[in-house]
Amino acid sequence: MTPARRLLPLVSGAVAVVLVSLVVAALPWLWETDPAASVLHVRYPERGVDPAALEALRAELDLPADPVRGALGWLGDVARGDLGTSWVSRAPVGPSVSGALGVSLTLAVAAVVVAAVTAVALLAPGVWQAARRGGTDTGRGSAVAASVLGAIPEIVLGAVLVAVVAVGAGLLPSTGFAGPANLVLPALALGLPAGGLLARMLSSATESALAEEWVRTWRSWGTPPATVAVGVARRAVATATPQIALLVVGLLGSAVAVEQLFGIPGVGTLALDAVLAQDLPVAQAAIMLLVVLGLALGGTGVLAHRALLGPAGAGGELPSGVPDASGRARSWAPWAAAGVLAAVVVAGLPRDASTTVPGRRLAPPSWSLPLGADAVGRDLWARIAHGALLTVGTAVAVTAVGLVIGLAVGVGRRSARAGAADVLNALPPVVVGLVVAAIAGPGLLGAAIAVAAVGWVPLAVHARTLAVEARASGYVRAAVLAGASPWRVARRHVLPAVVGPVVRHGLARVPHAALGIAALSFLGLGAAPDSPEWGAVLAASLAYVERAPWTILAPAVGLVLLAVVVALVRETRTSS
Amino acid sequence: MIRFAAVLTLLALVLAGCFSGSGGVEGGVEGSEGTESRLRVGLSFPPTSGLSPYGNEATLATRLGVTEPLVTLAAGGPEPALATAWTQLSPTSWRFTLRPGVAFHDGSPLTPEAVVNSLTRAAAATPAPRALASLAEGRAPLTARPDGPDAVVVTTPVPDPVLPQRLASPELVVLAAGAYADPTRPSPVRAGTGPFVLTRVDGSTGAALDANPSSWRGPVAAPGIDARFLTDGAARTNALRAGELDVAEAIPASQVASITAPQRVVGVPLPRSVAVYLDQRSPVFADPGLRAAARAAIAPIDVAGTIYEGRADPAGGLFGPATPWAVAPGARPAHADTPPTPPTGQRIRLATYSDRAELPEIAAADADALRRAGFTVDVTVLESSAFEAQLGTGTFDAVIVSRSQQLDTGDPIGYLTSDFSCAGGYNWAGYCDPATDAVLATAAQTSDVEARRRAALEVEARVLAADAVVPHVTERARIGVGAGVTGVAEDPNEQVLVTQETRRG
Repeated sequence: MTPARRLLPLVSGAVAVVLVSLVVAALPWLWETDPAASVLHVRYPERGVDPAALEALRAELDLPADPVRGALGWLGDVARGDLGTSWVSRAPVGPSVSGALGVSLTLAVAAVVVAAVTAVALLAPGVWQAARRGGTDTGRGSAVAASVLGAIPEIVLGAVLVAVVAVGAGLLPSTGFAGPANLVLPALALGLPAGGLLARMLSSATESALAEEWVRTWRSWGTPPATVAVGVARRAVATATPQIALLVVGLLGSAVAVEQLFGIPGVGTLALDAVLAQDLPVAQAAIMLLVVLGLALGGTGVLAHRALLGPAGAGGELPSGVPDASGRARSWAPWAAAGVLAAVVVAGLPRDASTTVPGRRLAPPSWSLPLGADAVGRDLWARIAHGALLTVGTAVAVTAVGLVIGLAVGVGRRSARAGAADVLNALPPVVVGLVVAAIAGPGLLGAAIAVAAVGWVPLAVHARTLAVEARASGYVRAAVLAGASPWRVARRHVLPAVVGPVVRHGLARVPHAALGIAALSFLGLGAAPDSPEWGAVLAASLAYVERAPWTILAPAVGLVLLAVVVALVRETRTSS
Repeated sequence: MIRFAAVLTLLALVLAGCFSGSGGVEGGVEGSEGTESRLRVGLSFPPTSGLSPYGNEATLATRLGVTEPLVTLAAGGPEPALATAWTQLSPTSWRFTLRPGVAFHDGSPLTPEAVVNSLTRAAAATPAPRALASLAEGRAPLTARPDGPDAVVVTTPVPDPVLPQRLASPELVVLAAGAYADPTRPSPVRAGTGPFVLTRVDGSTGAALDANPSSWRGPVAAPGIDARFLTDGAARTNALRAGELDVAEAIPASQVASITAPQRVVGVPLPRSVAVYLDQRSPVFADPGLRAAARAAIAPIDVAGTIYEGRADPAGGLFGPATPWAVAPGARPAHADTPPTPPTGQRIRLATYSDRAELPEIAAADADALRRAGFTVDVTVLESSAFEAQLGTGTFDAVIVSRSQQLDTGDPIGYLTSDFSCAGGYNWAGYCDPATDAVLATAAQTSDVEARRRAALEVEARVLAADAVVPHVTERARIGVGAGVTGVAEDPNEQVLVTQETRRG
């Protein structure tokens, strides 16, 4: 690698930082409303139209003349170590943002520890079995368990944990961020679903590793299964390391709802509040710190990946890993699960989803309302059924778009360096959603665009990691030496090694995409609040998790069932 | 893998220094020895300017018993606080006699000069304090000068019969001279006069207060307060139920049922209406018949009984039980309803905000009722500042808002003027009737309380007859009170929460 190529990631990172700061600086122009009006209403709610106050405030806010000058001026100030002054609080931005970032970093790291432990616990039995008996199957049971876990909305898990552990048993504090005891519940709420997702990623990597020739060699030598398992784990973790780094970054800015539930002053909430209040200096600082940190962590993930691969990766001598396709039969299970889901949906469609009946507020399940009623007395079965197509369809479309972009970007890349993908991943989807909503207006389409805009990144990184490994393997190098064109190498050799695991990863993200859209609906940036979209239904019912669990149960079970179907279809598809 | 876990653990240990401590917050379940009887109070919105009196968070400082104005509001009108008496010298000037022997938290005495300093600075603040905004109009809304060793004279540019009520605003509290180091955001830290001394503000997460040993109100029961700012209503409820808070303000109606003995929820009727404003500037609601159709569709919904679960009062009009003069038998003049025109699928955009958990549910119920009546309805729910910033831009045809009727001054005429006069700053109904304006203008000039109230009810009848607004409920303050906690103030003006009498156990 030449020195110039070594500098490339730094340059592309810097370009990305400038671009993002331009977009953020352009927010006041993208928004329909005047930033001075927003800031005024944050400082002085219920004040109404007050032209004098607005004029005074506009003079006080040093709104730049145009976005370009705003961004450059801001970058210049940052270079001098000045992050500016908040428009809302008139206090220096630096301390508040760095404090919030510290809080979020602590929480994210704790959540990743939980996620790692969860993923290992889910995968260890399968790897152990495979290392002892041979084969590449890590087990369908763990796949389903991981998918179910990954499909539970963090906020629902958090609300249940607070109700049971903090309020019910009084074991841990319910709110605040004063000590390690405060960390446990939010870390579990964030970490368990992330652990499910991580296990899905690792199981793909594990199955590839188990298919590599050295495993057979080791086993034929009589190497103890424990040693084989550790070797496979190291190989799998190497592949998944960039994903783990992304997970930390993703948890940093995206935990807004959980932060609010637990009263944690994190950076996601800070960034969201700042964008909502149109407090440009704080928004700029929070978003840029997230981006820079995201780039750094993404880069660390790539470096760790390289270090874990060891000399094999550097020398371009990685073995090929194509999972063994035999040994798994087609299964009726996914069709049964899908059938249940479809039957529930079809049976619910003729029911009335829109009529509110105040007298049926939070009615428990009964013969006439088999799934109960929501807070304004609407039939939950009907709402779930009417929302199914909207929810699943949007999530599938978003994932498909993300998959195509992710594969194109990931396979086309030759090096594993950080780039635009890492920048986008560092941005909380909520913030991207706000920007999209500013341009396109709030709505389900805007939310879908926002989720797709960041959703392709983990897939691209996954594809990139696999592609780099594939390119380093012997047969690809042989093909290159034989004079194969880069296009042919990508299409015939790299793509086949990448598509399977990445598509599986993408499928695992369908429920995740549904959750992402739900999170935006929660903030008024997605589906209309009275829409039967599952996320909107969930958001409207969260306050009743204890009093009327059925209001949460219906959409949550829907999402979990979707994940189970996806997981089982995947298992069957990859074996056929 | 092991190395990786070790690195993570190390990272976690390093980062453990990042906890945002607010004294006593760690008293999660039991509370340690020294902080046992300190009060733990959960407030509903975070300060952004260190509890500065200029702006929204002024009420945080008065609710915590830190700052005090010259007078306070009680049901009947102004009552003595830092001023013991007041007289009107002329239509535009008033003399306030100061309470003797009061000291600020920094030890300096309450002098006429200190009062003049605070009032003059507040009057010069940009934007002008809400209570004075209607007096401002491009000039100083008031001037103050010392008058002898124990009094001040306050002069307004125009005759103002309700000046004492205006001075009850939390934005017009009196602070020690040391508070004004930054004149745009005065700091009440060790600068107030109330029963509690603010010692520290931890950004937007919490604040620490100690009892004021020399409070003019007498001995203070609690040794101090650990205040926390929790924006999420469910989080405040959870913390109260888990025993982490002694007092939690603004419990959402949906959470009240989950609070059981020994904790309890105190409901205080508020002068605050939750109502749908039908915008007459909208192409649909410009038609009085369609407004009447909307009213006929949504007015019968039992919002108080269902969505509020009986924890708010059904609206008989804009004013409710917090203003007893309005609900007295025979007080309200009758008004005639406009006959509705059946809608034929007209599209309207109905908006509200999410900060009050009940409003989105009301929006869902209203939207359904309007659809069944024949409208086509789009519902938008926004965060409150985004919502307020879009009000008046013509984006929405109807808005559901929770609206205070006293606006710091306890004066219904001020509220009606801002909401229903042609030039009103909060006139989301776009209602403009010169006859109504005339009633309001006359009432604003009278100091006869009865006459002002009669005028208020007349205007209420006029706007209801015009279907400018469809009231759903009048709100109650729902204060969560922990086990064994007594002496929590039940203030319908939401200006006082913790007092010298509040104690735990």
